[in-house]
Amino acid sequence: MLWYKAWRESQARFLLSALAIAGLCAAFVVFHREGMLSVEDGHLTYIGYIWRITYKTYLRELFAILVLLLGVGGLLRERAYGTAGFTLALPVSRLGLIWARAGVGFLEVAALSFLPALVIPALSPFVHQSYPWTQALQFGALWTVGGALIFTMGFLASVIFASEYSAPVAALLILLLYSVIADLPFLERYPVDIHDIMSGVGMRYFQPNTSLLTGPLPWTALAVILLIVCGLIALAGRITQQQDF
Amino acid sequence: MSYKSIIETHDLTKRYGNFEAVHALNLKIAGPGITGFLGRNGAGKSTTIKMLLDMTHPTAGTGTVLGRSIGDPASNREMRRQVAYVAEDKQLYAYMTVEQLIRFTKSFYTDWRADVERHLLKRYQLPMRRKVKALSKGMRTKLALLLALSRRPALLILDEPSEGLDPVSIEELLQSLVAAAAEGTTVFFSSHQIAEVERIADRVCIVDHGKLAMDLSLDDIRQDYRRITLGFAAQPPSDDFHMQGIEQIRTSGRQVVVLASHNADAIVERARSLEAVSVDVAPISLREVFLDTVKENDALV
Repeated sequence: MLWYKAWRESQARFLLSALAIAGLCAAFVVFHREGMLSVEDGHLTYIGYIWRITYKTYLRELFAILVLLLGVGGLLRERAYGTAGFTLALPVSRLGLIWARAGVGFLEVAALSFLPALVIPALSPFVHQSYPWTQALQFGALWTVGGALIFTMGFLASVIFASEYSAPVAALLILLLYSVIADLPFLERYPVDIHDIMSGVGMRYFQPNTSLLTGPLPWTALAVILLIVCGLIALAGRITQQQDF
Repeated sequence: MSYKSIIETHDLTKRYGNFEAVHALNLKIAGPGITGFLGRNGAGKSTTIKMLLDMTHPTAGTGTVLGRSIGDPASNREMRRQVAYVAEDKQLYAYMTVEQLIRFTKSFYTDWRADVERHLLKRYQLPMRRKVKALSKGMRTKLALLLALSRRPALLILDEPSEGLDPVSIEELLQSLVAAAAEGTTVFFSSHQIAEVERIADRVCIVDHGKLAMDLSLDDIRQDYRRITLGFAAQPPSDDFHMQGIEQIRTSGRQVVVLASHNADAIVERARSLEAVSVDVAPISLREVFLDTVKENDALV
């Protein structure tokens, strides 16, 4: 039932995010002619256009902000609403509460990550275009792992900062700081920039000419990111165990 | 299951920076029955309750509830299976309906009593399909009580349960607490409303400035506590009243007011031997005991 509680708490944010992502994907497909004309590169293919507008820029940036906000919540927010006492009086551990919220969050991130993979290939034939399902699903996998890391930044911020506004602002600052550090020249040769991993930019598994994922996905890097995510959630649990409510 | 004591704390202390919310509190609630945890705002009542339930970590000291250590998270979690808690502001998950919240809460307890749930639902007339955010504070309190009492917990802890309620809701609340105690639940509730403590409690623990100032039974107050007002023709004797049963002495001019917890007859006899010209012995209320206690503490701080 802790999972049910976590779901109910994030339900509205998740559904709004899903609506925004699905709506934008549908708009990108339906209005692809106008979209492609607005891009300077006149030789842009439909696949290149979808990659650029969805996986490289606008939608990926929106996705990052949405999953960051999905991570915000938890016992400090409950303390502000006055329900922390009720929750903590239940015969459950604080770690149980943390992992339930993280688990539901990861499932929501995965669902949002694969939403473009459902909408874009499914709608493309209606506008006499096609986008490969395999490509979309592979990007979904990359977004799931990248989204989990970004979600965890919001999650961690929300166990440190209590107020309604400071947690999301802190989460955005953490993401910004991470993005700046990951872009530093001496780090460019390492796969540490989650935005690049999600879009494929500069990665061996991505062909810029065709805008297609060609090589095997970086499973080792993805596994390391997931380990870091688990470590950060465990840290959030440790912090929560020490807190007074 | 019987326990040596339902709640027991030893030098329980909580400091927030330089501020000491609870100072070396030694509390012993034997149960069963109703214990009022009386104190002014900021006396340390809520902090104590939060420490008992592992919501706040003690700075020092130890404690047990139902024989389980409050400082050990696993032990405290097991203890919470038998303890129900109603928080001060009675906030519950606003996004759930009454029905969903009951279903959610019951999933954590194997001893949930469906018959009690049905009985309380009928008695409180709670709208099952209404969202918690649409309930009045009185309704929320009833829902919180239903969630607490549907398990017949060994211990029911309430933090300022009547806060913000109208007189009718307060009456229903007090009746529910008395009924719960009659069915074997030990009730421990914090309050600064002396009248309601006096009305339903068997025992009262007065806490002030984070310390236990008094722990006594209401029957003792009614039967044994007396205010003895003595008048003297000349300056009253200052050091001659150190006797058993004297809790406080206040001297004002030629008048001496003694608060006695017992031994009133002997104190009166002693006063007469010291040539008191007037002696007035009167029963004392919890209000007077409380006010005398906190005034004395203020003088000491």
